[in-house]
Amino acid sequence: MSNNTENRDILLEVRNLKKYFKRSDGFLHAVDDVSFALERGKTLGIVGESGCGKSTTGRAILRLTEPTSGEVIFEGTDITGLTKSEMRKMRAQMQIIFQDPFASLDPRQTISQAIEEPLRLNGIVKNKDERFNRVIELMEIVGLAERLVNTYPHELDGGRRQRIGIARALAMNPKFIVCDEPVSALDVSIQAQILNLMKKIQKDQGLTYIFITHDLSVINHFADDIAVMYLGRLIEKAPTEILFNNPVHPYTQALLSAIPVPSIHSRRKRVTLQGEVGSPINPKPMCRFASRCPYAVKTCMQSEPPLAEIEKDHFVACHLHN
Amino acid sequence: MSNNAATAAPAESLHKIYKRKSQLRDVWHRFCKNKMAFVALCILAIIVLAACTADLFWDYEKDACELHISEKLQHPSREHLLGTDEVGRDILCRLVYGARVSLKIGIGAATFALVIGCILGSIGGYYGGKIDSVIMRFTDVLLAIPGLLLGIAIVNAFKPTVFYMALAFGISYISKFTRIIRSSILSIRDQEYVEAARAIGAKDSVIIFRHILLNCMAPIFVQYALCIGTRILSVSTLSFIGLGIQAPTPDWGSMLAGARAYIRGNAYLVMGPGVALLLTISSFNIIGDGLRDALDPRLKK
Amino acid sequence: MEENKVASANEEMLNIKGLVVHYETEDEVVEAVNGIDIVINRGKAHGLVGETGAGKTTTALSILNLVPDPPGRIVSGEITLDGQRLIQFKELTEEKRAELEEKGAWAPSEPALTEREYEHIRGNKVAMIFQDPMTALNPIMPVGEQIAEAISLHQNLDKKAAMERTREMLEMVGIPGIRADEYPHQFSGGMKQRVIISMALACNPSLLIADEPTTALDVTIQAQVLDLMHELRDKFNMSLLMITHDLGIIAEMCDEVSVMYAGRIIEHGTLEDIFDNACHPYTQGLFNSIPNIEDRKTELRPIRGLMPDPANLPKGCAFCPRCDYAMDTCAGRKPEKVWLSDTHCVECHLYQAGDTRRKL
Repeated sequence: MSNNTENRDILLEVRNLKKYFKRSDGFLHAVDDVSFALERGKTLGIVGESGCGKSTTGRAILRLTEPTSGEVIFEGTDITGLTKSEMRKMRAQMQIIFQDPFASLDPRQTISQAIEEPLRLNGIVKNKDERFNRVIELMEIVGLAERLVNTYPHELDGGRRQRIGIARALAMNPKFIVCDEPVSALDVSIQAQILNLMKKIQKDQGLTYIFITHDLSVINHFADDIAVMYLGRLIEKAPTEILFNNPVHPYTQALLSAIPVPSIHSRRKRVTLQGEVGSPINPKPMCRFASRCPYAVKTCMQSEPPLAEIEKDHFVACHLHN
Repeated sequence: MSNNAATAAPAESLHKIYKRKSQLRDVWHRFCKNKMAFVALCILAIIVLAACTADLFWDYEKDACELHISEKLQHPSREHLLGTDEVGRDILCRLVYGARVSLKIGIGAATFALVIGCILGSIGGYYGGKIDSVIMRFTDVLLAIPGLLLGIAIVNAFKPTVFYMALAFGISYISKFTRIIRSSILSIRDQEYVEAARAIGAKDSVIIFRHILLNCMAPIFVQYALCIGTRILSVSTLSFIGLGIQAPTPDWGSMLAGARAYIRGNAYLVMGPGVALLLTISSFNIIGDGLRDALDPRLKK
Repeated sequence: MEENKVASANEEMLNIKGLVVHYETEDEVVEAVNGIDIVINRGKAHGLVGETGAGKTTTALSILNLVPDPPGRIVSGEITLDGQRLIQFKELTEEKRAELEEKGAWAPSEPALTEREYEHIRGNKVAMIFQDPMTALNPIMPVGEQIAEAISLHQNLDKKAAMERTREMLEMVGIPGIRADEYPHQFSGGMKQRVIISMALACNPSLLIADEPTTALDVTIQAQVLDLMHELRDKFNMSLLMITHDLGIIAEMCDEVSVMYAGRIIEHGTLEDIFDNACHPYTQGLFNSIPNIEDRKTELRPIRGLMPDPANLPKGCAFCPRCDYAMDTCAGRKPEKVWLSDTHCVECHLYQAGDTRRKL
């Protein structure tokens, strides 16, 4: 997939990223040949349902899971080729916010210890008192009261715990943050608080985000571009407006129509998909969505559709739209 | 970056204001709330104190070891609070000196097993693969050997001193610690906060120690306390059958062995060592449980 | 059971009056539910919406007397199911009653049936499905057996007939009957939830209580399951109590809505009342804070603050600390229920009886 990348400030480029897991009955194609480019300061949303490979993609980009093959080029350097210690140094620039605000925090660490740890481990701030000040500063940025400095994660609610996660990710002044379903585990009214916070921080610090979620309605308020994944493959990518106004891939259409709208005047017609999601283990060489697609034709069963640019910046992998 | 009061105040004072109240104090408070555990700790403290200060009240050679046949088998009186044994030695005195031996061996063996078990279990659990297999097979071999027999064998091969006994009884417990630690590590290794630590650039050693081991403290400590208890029992058992601590060194097990022939009519002979064993071992068990509850910051009363 | 034009005087399937449920532990008393009224008519779907900790699940469990006791306790209230009393007020002497009234305490209640009688109703007249399909099925029993168990508990069918009915039920939810011998782990999340639905419907219940039935499912599977529930509801003319935090699901599935906050129902009405004319600041705040896929221009406006600790509820209106419209009276006095129209009621100091205009 070639992208018109010359006159844009590309922070991250992912090329043919693959992650396969070896299972007793074959290979599980968690991420299968995903490619995209991400501009500095923008947000790319990766959406899909469970099992589509979006979380694995995020982790593979950061090499928290080692990619099976493919390249991840961050500011010109292919980080897949770096050694373990070189990669550790790189980590300061690329961080992650996890989904589960409870599981991603060490229950034995107080808030300040958790936020201080990246500063301490990477020698970013050597003086203990200065480190502490930075911790307070970060807590203020994410909206945590100073008096919470010595509390433990289990003493706080989900929203506050997620703020700790955000503060931790910001501690090293990264350029790029992968947000893995950061608000899915939170209550509805808290979700909005955290989303607004993340947006503000992005603006203030010029961050670039990859926002992974299954909730399309959340992503629409947040992302500049959206990539839709299904069974490990990237099946559609477009700027947000275009994707919502004109979804081309049948799966995207079904996904958008399946979301319950909190309004009684919705005129939307629902496309209900039949059947279940196929298996990602040793997938056959055909379109992975074909078994559930209301428009499938013979070609769909015979070969995988490549990702093609059907209009400016709008990519679709579908035989019907090549 | 931002101009707030925090950066305006001198860096030092702010840190001191928020000096974290010690985690240890938290744990201590929670432990004391548990009445049974607190009582057990007091009992143990008394035993340890007695063992340490024994020399103030008695002379080791004269009172604990020498024979005083003329005073044998006296019932408890004001002079001999728990009576005298079958060769005339003051039972209370021997009890207290015997505590020293039991505690030394118990704690020594448990600590030895803990340290070796931690190292083996951490490495095996964290790295997995071949290393793990080798370590696991090693512990399997250790498990196949009955602890008491191993103790007898080592004691016969070397001298029946405190050091070798601690070693013998320690070896037989390594497997348990290794397995416990390994399974704790396996369960924590894939937790998200370990991944988070890796994401901020922590090295393996930091991850293993700071994030994983410290979070397994609870089962480790419980097992440690239980271990001490069972080691003390093992030593006493061995001494009871005559293969452990040799005369004239006082030991609760051998005191019981000696009293066997004279029990009828002299029940007090077994009360002393029996109760001592009961109290000590139970106390360790209860303290182990109490520690576990006190150490977990998530357990609400 | 096509249409239910029963000549019974009672159109009400479920009537909950003044329900109060507390969880009492050594350290504190958690006031989970604080006096709520719900009426569900035959064949209608009632949505109970609120966030975590609002008391929705406790309400559902109370209907079937399934609140874990200890530490839970149904303190007060009256629950009637299709004319039969499930929870009743205790008989009190006049002086006891006066004493309680003076103290301002709740009138005490007790279960009206024996445990055996409750068991007869559970799964039979009232069925309940929970949020997590992963843990609701016994992993070591084939699904067919689990459904057949539910059937044989309540109906006098022999083994063969029960299995027949089981296969019928599975087909009805879109699962091939031959899969009845498979184990739960062989089904995906969506299919497991369908198995649970078929188990719930096996005995033709009059009321189905669904507690966040699709939260754990993917969006396209959720759509399938909701469609299925809609279809079956129509087919059996079943009443539905749908508990969820998702206003989109409410819009699709329900006829009436109750909004719950800190154990009280702070607003109730038809779909039009709530979606087009929400009066309570919390309800309006909910709508403002959720992303709407069809209305993408507006910014998300979160409700500030957090839901109060149910063990430590504030003296006046529970929403007051977070409310942008709070007045002086709000912090000191709990608002009474006020009817704005025949169908729409709200608990808020901003409104008087008969007000139809929104004051937000």
